[in-house]
Amino acid sequence: MAAPAGWASLCEKFRSSLSLSNVESKKDPENEPYRSKYGARELLEEIRQLLGSEEAAEAEGAPAGEAAALRAVRLAVVEYELGVNHTDTEELSAGEEHLLKCTRLLERHRLSRDCVSLYIQAQNNLGILWSERGEIKTAQTYLESAEALYNQYMKENGNPPLDPNEHFMAEEEKLTDQERSKRFEKAYTHTLYYLAQVYQHLEMIEKAAQYCHTTLKRQLEYSGYYPVEWALNAATLSQYYLTKQCFMESRHCLAAANVIFSQAGQVPSSEDNETEQDQQDLRQRKAEIARCWIKYCLTLLQSARKSLEDNIGELDPDRQSELKAQRKKEEDEKEKGRKKAVLFGTSDLCDSILATEEKVSCICPLDFQEAREVFLVGQNYVHEAKEFFQFDGYVTDHIEIVQDHSALFKVLAFFEEDYERRCKMHKRRIDMLEPMYVDLNPQYYLLISRQLQFELADTYYEMMDLKVAIGNRLEELDSHTRKKINSLAQLAVKYYELFLDSLRNPDKIFPEKLEDDVLRPAMVAKFHIARLYGKLITSDGKKQLENMQTSLEYYTFLVDYCEKHPEAVQAIETELELSKEMVGLLPTRMERLKAKLSPFS
Amino acid sequence: MASEAVKVIVRCRPMNEREKALSCQAVVNMDSPRGQCFIQNPGATDEPPKQFTFDGAYYESHNTEQIYNEIAYLLVEGVTEGYNGTIFAYGQTGSGKSFTMQGIVDPPTQKGIIPRAFEHIFESVQCAENTKFLVRVSYLEIYNEDIRDLLGADTKQKLELKEHPEKGVYVKGLSFNTVHSVAQCERIMETGWRNRAVGYTLMNKDSSRSHSIFTINMEIYAVDERGQDHLRAAKLNLVDLAGSERQSKTGATGERLKEATKINLSLSALGNVISALVDGRCKHIPYRDSKLTRLLQDSLGGNTKTLMVACLSPADNNYDESLSTLRYANRAKNIKNKPRINEDPKDALLREYQEEIRKLKAILAEQMNTNNLSGLLPAETAQLEVKPALLPEPQPDVEAEKQLIREEYEAKLAQLKADYEAEQESRARLEEDINTMRTSYDLKLSTLEENLRKESGVAIGSCFAHTWYFHRMMP
Repeated sequence: MAAPAGWASLCEKFRSSLSLSNVESKKDPENEPYRSKYGARELLEEIRQLLGSEEAAEAEGAPAGEAAALRAVRLAVVEYELGVNHTDTEELSAGEEHLLKCTRLLERHRLSRDCVSLYIQAQNNLGILWSERGEIKTAQTYLESAEALYNQYMKENGNPPLDPNEHFMAEEEKLTDQERSKRFEKAYTHTLYYLAQVYQHLEMIEKAAQYCHTTLKRQLEYSGYYPVEWALNAATLSQYYLTKQCFMESRHCLAAANVIFSQAGQVPSSEDNETEQDQQDLRQRKAEIARCWIKYCLTLLQSARKSLEDNIGELDPDRQSELKAQRKKEEDEKEKGRKKAVLFGTSDLCDSILATEEKVSCICPLDFQEAREVFLVGQNYVHEAKEFFQFDGYVTDHIEIVQDHSALFKVLAFFEEDYERRCKMHKRRIDMLEPMYVDLNPQYYLLISRQLQFELADTYYEMMDLKVAIGNRLEELDSHTRKKINSLAQLAVKYYELFLDSLRNPDKIFPEKLEDDVLRPAMVAKFHIARLYGKLITSDGKKQLENMQTSLEYYTFLVDYCEKHPEAVQAIETELELSKEMVGLLPTRMERLKAKLSPFS
Repeated sequence: MASEAVKVIVRCRPMNEREKALSCQAVVNMDSPRGQCFIQNPGATDEPPKQFTFDGAYYESHNTEQIYNEIAYLLVEGVTEGYNGTIFAYGQTGSGKSFTMQGIVDPPTQKGIIPRAFEHIFESVQCAENTKFLVRVSYLEIYNEDIRDLLGADTKQKLELKEHPEKGVYVKGLSFNTVHSVAQCERIMETGWRNRAVGYTLMNKDSSRSHSIFTINMEIYAVDERGQDHLRAAKLNLVDLAGSERQSKTGATGERLKEATKINLSLSALGNVISALVDGRCKHIPYRDSKLTRLLQDSLGGNTKTLMVACLSPADNNYDESLSTLRYANRAKNIKNKPRINEDPKDALLREYQEEIRKLKAILAEQMNTNNLSGLLPAETAQLEVKPALLPEPQPDVEAEKQLIREEYEAKLAQLKADYEAEQESRARLEEDINTMRTSYDLKLSTLEENLRKESGVAIGSCFAHTWYFHRMMP
């Protein structure tokens, strides 16, 4: 063992190496990027020399007592640092060797307070090393074994273990148990965080999400986070849960995002001269979280619609009462178990998060009243998001938000029984979409422009359908309703035609062959136009005949196109089948009409 | 096959002196007529070479003039006609990016795409009649998600990305220089280049991590035969993408490009991991787009023509970089902008169709059936048959009744018309009443037919039983 004076200088050397490696290296010039790392490496090599050779340590290891064990741990620390150093300087093989030496030295004592933290960190680094080599599976093995070791240690021992650097500290410098625990937990958080990445690369998405969630959770528990970043990550994770229809988890993430984000507002920035840019960024991030909430409300409503609709897309009352009865039985017993697993934060924080959750349900709404509540929350977030993402300046984002707003209205309309009120909701959609569409230059926003055309057309169509349904309930169709129906149908046709025109090439010619991404919409547009011409009400027989003729032409287009391009069939199978039938039947109907028109001549 | 809007070509330069001195082996091969590119892994020569197909594959024997004429010409021509165009250059440093884009003066066949585009544009400006042009250029760079103006007074100033409904994506405060000649264009590009270089030494930046975009904006005022003027605007983006090379020991600054397979040491990558878990098609992912993507959003799909030139070195010691360039280029073929048409399955509509087609079929069936029946049924039942107007040999009884209804209808119609004309009633009401009358007439007719059918029996149902399967449309 080194003399006390020698020991002190050894510790000093170790400290210098750490500072070179972690602090100085950031200031290295571009043409010598690893200068400080190389410096640190030299110091570490010296320390290793002084500690005596590894072989000696191992040879003595078994019989000798504490002194040897202590030396072995110290050597392991140095090997670990050398391993990290080599990895950092892109000498992976050497890095691996050192890290393996480190774990070999610790193997027998890896569950001891002295060794466990270092052992986990060594395995973390082996995981990183292998992932850099592209061998994700090997990385996974190391990281999972680190995870297992943590769990075993916490189960069998649980005392705050020593931080590796403490092995080169004088007694009086040693860390408090609190600090030890903090560092140990941080190392383990890293393990989980690396595992999240490993699982993502291995496309084990569910596992990756679970580890991301746990990482976020642990960041809160051990206060290792930036509020804005954390909130944004939680909000993003909520979107993952949405794709899995896990609304309870999704809402929890969002509520936590709101609560944590508000901390960022309260804590004044470390620099006093908070720039306008920072303020702007903060507002943008708040709006981003609002947009995640919008998607939450929208997805919840859409999922409810899906479970409630009958085979023609209308609310099925039987299904409704069935689900209502079912809901009473279940009550969230099942959810409580799941909830425990995902709960963020402790005590106070948790309370605020749960209070935020109260504001919106995470259970699918089953009637208009419930749907309306979710809708209103979504709508509030629409307003909040639009405050930042204004049309002028954030065209694409703004439109996306308005499209969501429109979708919220659309799904709410599903729950509305009254056709007149339902129609008004669709009118609201038109009123928000149409002005944006008019202002948009299709040269720069072609695809968005098309989306709007299509949605406007669909919405007018929907309104027309509703007016027809309303008209059918009347004893006779009054001229006002008839006019309304015709004008709505014509507007729907107009927007479908605008969409189809946008597909024309610069010489205004409709493409011979449609691109994959527009094939189905284009066909559907043609199909709907055909239908709409069949819907136009006129008392003029000639006009009616003309409309039927136009209708026939559009149906024929579909049939002919699919004959010419058989690969298109699968995209529009049902519409094609119907079109074929109509192409077969319409001429007969037209004949009849013709006969009716001139039966007496 | 690449979408028409995005064309991707690869170009492999000849072996350079250094590679020759190191006696490197060539691992890249091209089948130019087929647009195919092959790359052999020097570490596994027993494996077959990897194969990629592009819109063009150019090897050392080809010159830039050919590339321009075959691929770039049409794109630039489009710009002079008012359509946007974008040309990307991509590849590791030293792969021939500058050679292709800037080029050399001698031989003239190797003049770069950029000077050719300049000449092309100014030539069209000079040749056009009754047309005025305004040509303005801008030059910016994106480094670490910060945008800087390379032609501005302060090249350190960070600029904001904005969108305008009419003008599209733009960089707020970016300076535009009006240009009148090729030479002027080149001078300005030169200035920008110099500013870029100065920036690196001042800010300790690494050039291979920065993207730059040189944009030529054209405004075209044309007067047509009728003396009306038209304004069109178009732009040509020339994009120099950050290098694809892995950072070598000497050039590394700590951040690496190969983030896709690398585990990041700080938790800062957590956001990326979470974002990667979300299928973004209908969910919101904060901060998902890079500035570059947003700036070029109308170039990636949509009505902009886009050309991507991927540059390669043939040498075996560049295998990894070349492969990653090819993979990137291959992905670029499928670049599509995000917006898609979301159309809902319209089940109600389909149900309606089902109903209508059923009705139409019934009518048709009825016609055919009566034909059949007239031949099959005994005389005493034949009188019950319905013969629609189209059919020959109308049954007198039915026809008589029909005729009666018709006459009544016509008479009433004439009367109504006269009445309304006399009363100067609104046309709408006239139509309405006519319609009501026609409906009731139709109703009478169909009731008549219905009654007859009921009587004439079972045969109809069995002959024309039609099952129409109702599919729910899949989204």
